[in-house]
Amino acid sequence: MTQTEGLFNRLANPTRFMSIAAAILPWLTGVTVILFAVGLYLTFFVAPPDYQQGETVKIMFIHVPAAWLAMMGYSLIAVSSIGSLIWRHPLADVSAKTAAPIGAVFTFLALVTGSLWGKPMWGTYWVWDARLTSVLVLLFLYLGLIALWQSIEEPSRAGRAAAILALVGFVNVPIIKFSVDWWNTLHQPASVARLDGPAIHSSILTPLLVMAAAFTCLFFVLHLKAMTTEILRRRVEALRMTQVARAAAE
Amino acid sequence: MSAFWALVRRDLRLAWREGGAISTTLGFYLVVVAILPLGLGPDLNLLARIAPGVLWVALLLSALLSVDRIFHNDHEDGALELLALGPLPLELIVVAKALAHWISTGIPLVLAAPVLALLLNLPAEAFGVLLLTMATGTPATSFLGALGAALTLGLRRGGLLLSLLILPLFVPVLIFGVSAINAVIIGPSPFLPSYLILAALTLATLALTPFAAAAALRLNLQ
Amino acid sequence: MTRKQRRGVLIGVCLAVLGVAVGLVLLALDDSIVFFYSPSDVAEKQIGPGQRFRLGGLVEEGTVKRGQGTFVEFAITDTAKSISVTYTGLLPDLFREGQGVITEGKLGSNGVFVADNVLAKHDENYMPPEVAESLKKQGVWRGNDKK
Repeated sequence: MTQTEGLFNRLANPTRFMSIAAAILPWLTGVTVILFAVGLYLTFFVAPPDYQQGETVKIMFIHVPAAWLAMMGYSLIAVSSIGSLIWRHPLADVSAKTAAPIGAVFTFLALVTGSLWGKPMWGTYWVWDARLTSVLVLLFLYLGLIALWQSIEEPSRAGRAAAILALVGFVNVPIIKFSVDWWNTLHQPASVARLDGPAIHSSILTPLLVMAAAFTCLFFVLHLKAMTTEILRRRVEALRMTQVARAAAE
Repeated sequence: MSAFWALVRRDLRLAWREGGAISTTLGFYLVVVAILPLGLGPDLNLLARIAPGVLWVALLLSALLSVDRIFHNDHEDGALELLALGPLPLELIVVAKALAHWISTGIPLVLAAPVLALLLNLPAEAFGVLLLTMATGTPATSFLGALGAALTLGLRRGGLLLSLLILPLFVPVLIFGVSAINAVIIGPSPFLPSYLILAALTLATLALTPFAAAAALRLNLQ
Repeated sequence: MTRKQRRGVLIGVCLAVLGVAVGLVLLALDDSIVFFYSPSDVAEKQIGPGQRFRLGGLVEEGTVKRGQGTFVEFAITDTAKSISVTYTGLLPDLFREGQGVITEGKLGSNGVFVADNVLAKHDENYMPPEVAESLKKQGVWRGNDKK
């Protein structure tokens, strides 16, 4: 066995993962709190109003990170799904399962904040353009995954069924990203992730990036915590099963 | 290849002899389309404007009702396991069964659409394109439905779950199917781009879902 | 054929079908599907009166005239052609001369677009007002909306 494989296996061992997660979580939580404190301070006291939108632009500091994480969450599920389909690893299952509700919440947050932003700026809460529609479909995909997880009792089977569905639904992620370039939409094109550099002045870009980092850390805090909880839940389940089996044998 | 066609023929014969499933699906299609004008009021201009969307949505719902039986009976009586042991790869079994579903349910639904379109006052020039887009789009619904049926095989409340999983995947077919018809009736957007994307969606579905559905079936057969 | 060869053929066929699908999409994107039409599109495609569509472009400088109540009249331009628009109702905050807007409605027989909905489109540039001012002064302003 090569060294990298050894490392991978050690990380992928659930017990080892639990101890690593327990060591990282407090630090990551601290970093998240600090980033949010800095980000919110920058948002409300430092960031200037936009030349067109005025103070309303501040919704961006929540909307954009939430939308990014909605897509990142689904990508994480897709990667985990490959892990659980090819290596049949229980940790990949746990990662995919626990990321779905978190991703769904971020998607919902992106839709709601976008809608609240749309009313004053565009003049409507909702339009059926390609970007908004594809993000709504993303929310439905998340809900479908959660429902599938809940309907299949045996975890390893549920894991692989959800993995198949997640990979099929992944087609939607590039569609969301490029919808604003492929079609002319009411939603404006990308401001930050573009080839010729961000189209946002640094005084607005900096708070946005800090908030994005804070949201990302928050995502991973929630995800790690949910993963450890899920592993513990499965252990309790397994213990209960052996107890029942023992009682039945007596 | 003979095993493939034998399976398609068998499924078609089963669908034909059972009969009930097809007429229920067609009946559902009729009722959904007929009930809408009662809710919307009898304004014929309004009905004509929304007819393509109504016909498509009702068709997708009807197709959805019928897809869960693609694998259900064969799974119950163990025939699916025998098939899996046979010479045909599981992927081709999925293709055969989805194809049989399309021929036995998809085509009747498509042929019923123009009749129902009369109830909705669809403009005469749109009938041809209605048939064309639906004939192009429905294979995708059968194949996506087969994927959903494979994922939810043997689950309690599988049918309900199936709708939640598969309806979002129907969205692109719905959007481009309706916009191709609207392009002809209302304009001003051109017909061809929407239609080409609809055709591309169907082809991509045909190429990809058999693998996903076969993987899901393997899960259930273990 | 062995099982392995068969699998190879199966995958080959699927890749070919996928290739055709990608080709069709590329063909379709040549003539793109649009959320709104510019005034030039309207002239080019000869969109007639009575057809419902979305008209998008910049509000032409100096054309906004407010009438009784919430009635407003303005012209939408894509710098090549322009179309007059009438609208009754509340306008979004961002509505102003030079701003990108999308309106929904029909062309009247007199060539005036009667909108029943006006949405403001904003671009992907964000900056403080002072920066926008200085950019304008230096003459490197990239314009509001390229479309």
